[in-house]
Amino acid sequence: MTSPIHTRGLVKRYRGTVALDSFDLDVPEGSIYGLVGPNGAGKTTCIKVLMNLARATSGRGEVLGADTRRLGPAQFAQIGYVSENQKLPDWMTVEYFMNYLRPFYPTWDETLAADLIRQFDLPRSRELRHLSHGMRMKAAMASALAYRPKLIVLDEPFTGLDPLVRDELIEGLLPSAENTTVFISSHDLGEIESFASHIGFLDHGRLQFSEDMGSLAGRFREIEVTLPVDKAAPKPDQCPPAWLNAQQSASVFRFVDSRFEEERTAAQLRGLFGEAAQVAVNPMPLRAIFVTLAKASRKAA
Amino acid sequence: MRQAIHILRKDVRYLWIETTVALIAAGLLAFTGVRQAYALTRPEITHGIATAAMLLPFLLPIAWWTLIVRAVYAETLTGDRQFWPTRPYAWRSLLAAKWLLILLFVNMPLFLAQTAIVLSAGFPLSPQLAGLLWTQVLLTVAFDLPVAAVAALTTGVVQFLLCVLIVFASSMALSMGSMRITMAFAGGGWRGMEWIETYYSLLLIAIVGAAILIWQYRTRRTVPARVLAGLALLILALGAPFSWSTAFAIQSHFSRLHVDEASLHAGLFTNFQWATRAIVNRDGSVSLHIPLELSGVPGDLEPRTEGLTVRIEGAGGAIWDKNEAPWAEVSTNGRLIALQTTVDGAFYQKVKDQPVSLRGYLYLTLYGNQRVTRVPFDDHTQPVPGLGLCSASGGGNAPYFLSCNSTFRPPSELVSVAFGEGPNEGTPYSRPQVHSYSPLPAELSLNPVNPFVQWSTSKKVLDAATVVSVEPLAHVRAAIAIDGLRLGEHEVRIK
Repeated sequence: MTSPIHTRGLVKRYRGTVALDSFDLDVPEGSIYGLVGPNGAGKTTCIKVLMNLARATSGRGEVLGADTRRLGPAQFAQIGYVSENQKLPDWMTVEYFMNYLRPFYPTWDETLAADLIRQFDLPRSRELRHLSHGMRMKAAMASALAYRPKLIVLDEPFTGLDPLVRDELIEGLLPSAENTTVFISSHDLGEIESFASHIGFLDHGRLQFSEDMGSLAGRFREIEVTLPVDKAAPKPDQCPPAWLNAQQSASVFRFVDSRFEEERTAAQLRGLFGEAAQVAVNPMPLRAIFVTLAKASRKAA
Repeated sequence: MRQAIHILRKDVRYLWIETTVALIAAGLLAFTGVRQAYALTRPEITHGIATAAMLLPFLLPIAWWTLIVRAVYAETLTGDRQFWPTRPYAWRSLLAAKWLLILLFVNMPLFLAQTAIVLSAGFPLSPQLAGLLWTQVLLTVAFDLPVAAVAALTTGVVQFLLCVLIVFASSMALSMGSMRITMAFAGGGWRGMEWIETYYSLLLIAIVGAAILIWQYRTRRTVPARVLAGLALLILALGAPFSWSTAFAIQSHFSRLHVDEASLHAGLFTNFQWATRAIVNRDGSVSLHIPLELSGVPGDLEPRTEGLTVRIEGAGGAIWDKNEAPWAEVSTNGRLIALQTTVDGAFYQKVKDQPVSLRGYLYLTLYGNQRVTRVPFDDHTQPVPGLGLCSASGGGNAPYFLSCNSTFRPPSELVSVAFGEGPNEGTPYSRPQVHSYSPLPAELSLNPVNPFVQWSTSKKVLDAATVVSVEPLAHVRAAIAIDGLRLGEHEVRIK
């Protein structure tokens, strides 16, 4: 299976600031890949490089099998790109915008376009400049889905949107995602978690991890150990490196295990706390994982 | 091409105000031009038309400028937030769409307006096609290309204007700074050969403008394109990289008549040797005035001096060889040609009592093919060599008028006009004062018709005006050779 997005050693510097650093990525075909990370992590830069809106300082990237620096009409006819800060031709009405774009795409589906306009409740005759931010995003999304692209790239599509519009966008996106690959950057983890199949965590321009949601959810656990009276909490250097954000309050020792495996983790706990400790293991939502990683990353920095 | 047409249709819809204004302005040009051409024979031009004609050279370029800039900005090339780079636009189609828009709403309207003006002035179309088409080339290179290129390097009108302001200020500063270089090469002495410097600049603009546009539409990498634009600006501000004599050599290639330079000589005009002067100035420098006799010019040709270069060599090996302004080293008074140059005081003192030799070149334009045309005062239009289409009117209590229209450039012929036996008769060739030896069919101007009017208030009953014209046939050099001249013998001191 080929990877619709593939990068190796991608570096992007802006006047000495490293925005992307040795960025290696493989987005599986057919996946909904969420690229998450704190503000300034390099998500938008990554997408700009992938879409040939910015040039990588070094390294290489491929999108739909083409070098990102050589992306042309053939590739863009199969890519649907929507960004929260994209400037649309404000003077066009929704209908004219869709009609104008139609001849650019051999696969444009007029019925789907009409359905999307209806589904997004877009006013056909209103100029884009007179639409709210949410409506403009919906217009952009409709124009990016109407030709059934092989790859949909969304850069922070939910930023500044109210929950209703967000749901509408996702509802419009998901049916289209059945036969396509979606690459979406966001810091709206709650939304990403609800539909992403894969996740990548970007911090300080580096991809900290990239894996499918099942494995990610499986390997992160919040562990709470109630210590016996005679047992002191371990010092940080005694803890395995995969234990993040360790903290103690009274007799309770808490941490996040980022490489949770039931038997191995149990053995590690026994080794440090003995048999007498009470252990509670809780699965973590994506938001909690993200916050943990961000805190750990800042601490390390 | 289909995509280009599709984008063009979008731009026409988007820029309907700008295109309408450009079309109206071009229509106004046609209207005023036609009225002015018509007024050649009947001076009934209204104040409104005259005002419009005066404003059009400002209004029309502003309308075009706005249209071109807005068309380029419709798909901005700088920045990374515009919607179109991630759509399947083919860069060639996008560039073609912009040029089609410019051709349709800038170039084509001017072409049609100029055609209307030329036809209304009574000129047949086919001989004017070269001028009409060459004007299109000039408009494209001198206006469309640079405006579109700067728009391709900027993100908005404010940045565009700021960029133009910086370009203007820096080129002025550079030109001032390089004034000595410019003066050394050309100064104000190009005169009829100025077209060579102009076309050098236009060639540079065409190459750089086209390169910037293609680069930007193809790659949207603005930094290298801006560096290229800056370099081009620097080169332009420094002026033509060739000397006046090189320009003359280029001009000589366009001579219509072959004259053997070996037969042309300039030496000391012995009859006027008394006019030789070595004027010692207060600052010690010495202004030399040496009358020259030109020989070998075929009898049917009339020479006009363009410039002079000279090398003065003393017996002891001292040499004066500074020819920074060849056009200023010669003066002509009637048939008398004089070398006039200023030499360093130290050099003069060294050689003034020795016999010196002068070697150099006198640069000449030879005029000939004299034609005499009578234009009766009967209001009928007729072709007149050197003036274009002319008609003469007047008599009774009204002054006599000779009104002429030429197209695309003032003719390069020298012309003298005489009204009967009045005081104008025998007037030396007077027109044009500023002329061009360009072999190309047009200069860039909005109104292609150049009017020329001369009148006489003679009370005599006259039947015709007489026009005598000669045309520049050859641009040649005559070798200067003077030996044994003792400058000290002609010394004059300014007290």
